Amino acid sequence: MSLKSERRGIHVDQSDLLCKKGCGFYGNLAWQGFCSKCWREEYQKGRQKQIQEDRELAERLQREEEEAYASSQGAQGTQPSLTFSKFEEKKTNEKTRKVTTVKKFFSSSSRTVPKKENQEAKAPSPSINRQVSIETDRVSKEFIEFLKSYQKAGHDVFKQCKICLEAMQQKREASIEEQSEYVQDFYQNTAEKLQLRWKMPSEKVEDVMDQIEKFIMTRSYKHVFCPETTDDEKKDLAVQRRIRALHWVTFQMLCVPVNEDIPEVSDMVVKAITDIIEMDSKRVPRDKLACITRCSKHIFNAIKITKNEPASADDFLPTLIYIVLKANPPRLQSNIQYITRFCNPSRLMTGEDGYYFTNLCCAMAFIEKLDAQSLNLSQEEFDRYMSGQASPKKQNAENWPPDACLGVKQMYKNLDLLSQLNERQERIVHEARKLEKDLIDWTDGVTKEVQDIVEKYPLDIKPKSQPLAAIDSENVENDKLPPPLQPQVYAG
Amino acid sequence: MAAGAAGASKTYSFKVVLLGEGCVGKTSLVLRYCENKFNDKHLTTLQASFLTKKLNIGGKRVNLAIWDTAGQERFHALGPIYYRDSNGAILVYDITDEDSFQKVKNWVKELRKMLGNEISLCIVGNKIDLDKDRHVSVQETEAYAESVGAKHYHTSAKQNKGIEELFLDLCKRMIESAQADERAKGNGSSQSATARRGVQIIDDEPQAQSSGGCCTSG
Repeated sequence: MSLKSERRGIHVDQSDLLCKKGCGFYGNLAWQGFCSKCWREEYQKGRQKQIQEDRELAERLQREEEEAYASSQGAQGTQPSLTFSKFEEKKTNEKTRKVTTVKKFFSSSSRTVPKKENQEAKAPSPSINRQVSIETDRVSKEFIEFLKSYQKAGHDVFKQCKICLEAMQQKREASIEEQSEYVQDFYQNTAEKLQLRWKMPSEKVEDVMDQIEKFIMTRSYKHVFCPETTDDEKKDLAVQRRIRALHWVTFQMLCVPVNEDIPEVSDMVVKAITDIIEMDSKRVPRDKLACITRCSKHIFNAIKITKNEPASADDFLPTLIYIVLKANPPRLQSNIQYITRFCNPSRLMTGEDGYYFTNLCCAMAFIEKLDAQSLNLSQEEFDRYMSGQASPKKQNAENWPPDACLGVKQMYKNLDLLSQLNERQERIVHEARKLEKDLIDWTDGVTKEVQDIVEKYPLDIKPKSQPLAAIDSENVENDKLPPPLQPQVYAG
Repeated sequence: MAAGAAGASKTYSFKVVLLGEGCVGKTSLVLRYCENKFNDKHLTTLQASFLTKKLNIGGKRVNLAIWDTAGQERFHALGPIYYRDSNGAILVYDITDEDSFQKVKNWVKELRKMLGNEISLCIVGNKIDLDKDRHVSVQETEAYAESVGAKHYHTSAKQNKGIEELFLDLCKRMIESAQADERAKGNGSSQSATARRGVQIIDDEPQAQSSGGCCTSG
């Protein structure tokens, strides 16, 4: 409180604190500088004037909205103005009973320049909504319609939202964290105000906050979802590639307690996959969360049908991981980031939706870090599956469910045959190599054997003439022989 | 932040995580507490991973959100994602399983490291109906709980023993720490929040309005 008045002191003169009528009592800003007594008198007089002013303001706002619709939509532009004028009418009626006027949200200390300030504050606003689409229009319409029931508070909320959108537009160049922080601050402020100032019960506050989130995020979605300033897109692609590379993961590996043979269960699985994929098509964080929640409920159903007992987190998380792997939801990382940045924090931190969202975050973290150990596989097997050299499905071909698609069955049968063929071919090549080697070995063996024999029995060719000559020359007993017969000449 | 906005009739919202190995009976414990059922084949509950319970403790309303966590070893690394921003943690072990108590010790270390003393810890020895097979000593666990600033409880989901007390006690402790938190912050929290955003005219003005609104109504 003390801090507040200090801050006020900056732009309020000390004398201004006294009642403007000079009665000597202190005035109050809420009573536009009068003391309570003088204010009551003044109020009666000023009421008529204020009603007039309110009407002007309302008309201006209405014109502005009309312009927004007209410029974007043309043909459909007339409808919203009609509903909005009703809204304004109701509001002005309300004003006659209550003191505070809309103007004062723009200026508390001065009532002399409210119009100027109004215009200043509103001047840039027509430019915000220029690139509106049909959906944005519909959401705006619904938002205005919704706020009708909250009268004064509703009008205030609408104004604050417009201001927030303007600020968001100006912050478009800023980092996404800054924008996120701004929106989060805005949520927190608005919720606090609804509770403290408008004395709304907390359920209603939640209701209004949901609508605010819807309104603001539908309009800002284009600029804050997967913004260029971040590397969200790169991460999205990385996650997508990762999930694709893990296509071979079966529910047995993850110990998923779901039996897809039961038709109802496989039905639930398909629905869960559809839901998680649908998340990307939603614009509002809360709608995205609702997709996750629906997906989770289908998973719970699948588990319940299979196990016939309520699912615990031990069952739920593996199944969710399996569903995410099968679905490969588009832009998963961006969606998670977007929800984290722009969802109403109270919903995200404690609510049921928050729990399922947390599980999805866990699932993504698990998938990113998944390794052989987390699937109870050996590193070798894991590597083989990752590189696509083998498919674990092959082992399941035998116990393929009977109702599986015939083509798929045939395909696996063929795959089996092919792999058998491959094996045989490999064996043939192997045998052929062996044969070749054997042949070479045999040749070598024979050569070696021959050489061995040759070495063992060397082929000494002794000069044949010598022993012959010896017979002739060195015969020792030659002497003993009678002299060779001499030819004798006989006269004859 | 979970304590919500200030006010006379305020409702506390607490997030409590359930940690513990698979098969220690986390699910049975929480189902017994929220639905008063045990191994009931006719359970209408779809799931037991996220349950809520509304309590009224000494005139203070408490919304309890109980987050079950996957207990398998392979999901251990995901713990921080689960217990972020939680006000309390219930660490369950099975009194017949020594290993499950070792796991609890690991969790305690991790929680204290990541969240400091902001979180109220409960160590729970479940399945006391199987006391004859007890493998974890009472003295050891109670001494350990005290040494780490946690409370120790013995429960049996089967016989519905000690569960009500466990949650009631935990809620009381969480309320205390939430109140201590508020006192420490005092009014400072709201003021620092407005000061931070004081740059923008719009947020400043309604603040002035609200103080006026208080006076008129009062």
